Amino acid sequence: MRPPGAPRAVRDARAAAAAFRVQLLLVRRSVGDLRVLFTVPLYALIFLAIAAVSGDRSLTAYAVLAPGLIALWSMMLFAAGDLITQDRSAGRLEAVVAAPVPLFTVVAARLAAVAAVSLISLAEAWAVARWVFGLRVPLVHPMAFGVGLLATAFAMTGTATAMACAFVLSRSARIFQNSLSYPVYLLGGVLMPVSALPGWLRPASRLVFLTWSGGLLRDSLATPAVADLPGRLLALTALGLAGFAAGGWLMRRILTRVRAAGTLGLA
Amino acid sequence: MTRAAAAAAADAADATAAPDTRAAVSVRALRRTFRTTGRGSGLFTGRLRGRRRDEDTGERVALRGIDLDIAPGEVHGLLGPNGAGKTTLCKILSTVLLPSSGTVHLLGHDVAARPAAVRPLIGIVFGGERGLYERLTARQNLLYWACLYGMSGRRLAERSEELLEQLGLGAHADERVERFSRGMKQRLHLARGLVHDPPVVLLDEPTAGMDPVSAHGFRDLVRALRAEGRTVLVTTHDMAEAEAVCDRVTLIDRGAVVASATPAELGAWAAESERVTARDVPPGVLTQLSALPHVTAVPPDAQGRTVLRVGEGGDAAAVVRLLLDAGVRELATSRPGLEEVYLRLIGRRGMEVAR
Repeated sequence: MRPPGAPRAVRDARAAAAAFRVQLLLVRRSVGDLRVLFTVPLYALIFLAIAAVSGDRSLTAYAVLAPGLIALWSMMLFAAGDLITQDRSAGRLEAVVAAPVPLFTVVAARLAAVAAVSLISLAEAWAVARWVFGLRVPLVHPMAFGVGLLATAFAMTGTATAMACAFVLSRSARIFQNSLSYPVYLLGGVLMPVSALPGWLRPASRLVFLTWSGGLLRDSLATPAVADLPGRLLALTALGLAGFAAGGWLMRRILTRVRAAGTLGLA
Repeated sequence: MTRAAAAAAADAADATAAPDTRAAVSVRALRRTFRTTGRGSGLFTGRLRGRRRDEDTGERVALRGIDLDIAPGEVHGLLGPNGAGKTTLCKILSTVLLPSSGTVHLLGHDVAARPAAVRPLIGIVFGGERGLYERLTARQNLLYWACLYGMSGRRLAERSEELLEQLGLGAHADERVERFSRGMKQRLHLARGLVHDPPVVLLDEPTAGMDPVSAHGFRDLVRALRAEGRTVLVTTHDMAEAEAVCDRVTLIDRGAVVASATPAELGAWAAESERVTARDVPPGVLTQLSALPHVTAVPPDAQGRTVLRVGEGGDAAAVVRLLLDAGVRELATSRPGLEEVYLRLIGRRGMEVAR
């Protein structure tokens, strides 16, 4: 008998890697979890067709990126809710909470895996543009695009982690999931430019990470140099960190509450 | 002072009792209540549903000031009917539920105040089929759960293989759990609870769903755990199992400890003498037997089997003679087992769930 004695940070990092791998395995074995990826080509067809009809070439970047960003948000939103809900209904949540590694670490790592998988959606949209519309959408600033994508995945994981932690308290995560899709797409400038929003709403869009990532990724596809790259990356990182911090705080508070109320395992 | 206030005051006084620092598990004045949704006198309140609730406070009391000590290396059985509070106690020990009052110490750590210190020290096996990742294989499940307990590298691989083989899952290690039978899932639960080599093991109805052969194998496993010096708390409805593997048992009912002793002590205490079991006893003879001093006859069951309890001062030989004289040829005498004790202490309440 020897209880594990690795330092806590090392232990948590290993557990996070295991949770990441497990989530990839679970996603691979569940077509349902990948349903959003099946809709991406359809969204890409619609948006690229609109851009083609308008004759405005500047809309092509919007049309290619929008399905990817929609898929990214949508997959993460559903994963954030389903991860807790499914673990709870399958009787796993209590066992995970009873383990030494914090639930927050497990949830964040699993959502990071979903974020990694969701990036496939961008390749799908690119493929539709190339093979259906014959459009080449070059990565004019590949470095900016790459780090922008990483920062987007980080911010998305942070935001989703905060939501998932809140869903520990809720037994009806699906209601929140359903109400947080299109409003966020509009606010984040995914479907149309933020400049088209009413003036009073624009400041709120600065708090949505999609605003920053959408702008940064679109600019990295255009010829002019990407303006204020460090500042935009910093904004994305800060929003991601804020999500993780909020998630950590919420998780501690909510776990104490459900352990006291005896509702942790109730589905 | 209301009854609830008096109970709370008594709990507060009891809670000051110090835990036994030598015990692997020490429980003092443990009380756990749950808020109920049906307050007042609506159609679906507890009174109309026959439930026992403290309606003044809108609470259901699951544990009513439990005291319990489990020595290091002891296999301790927790017995009780459905709703007695066994799982509530297990959940508090496993840190997923907080006590309403009282204390629980595991290897010297307060489970409520220091859950992070307790979690690596305890292996938990919740009963039933649920709790595993159905789309993953047994090996993937086990490796994942082991990682959540800080295991890694060669030790992780060796321990996983060892447990899969020991629990008879070696040939099925790379099959998805969704194809497993209930018993196989239960074995995987056991492997999960033991994979990080914990000094304290909590088994909540671990043989639920196992076939008799596997259940016997489980008994060997518990004996092996004891031989390794682990402390084991096992909740079960299987009296033969408890009698076979437990050093001591605690009977709880309606959230309170009814008795705590070795199975042999409980058996001797509850049935001071002997019992005679006979088949197809003529009704007239049964009346004669019941009239004998210190003899109690339980009405025949569906198979025509009658149990006659011969208490202290009774004459079991006279009972046997009377039965033989009446032509009864199928009979046996025995000392009462744990099941008898359980039924006598908890009572025969049919399908009722204690709440």
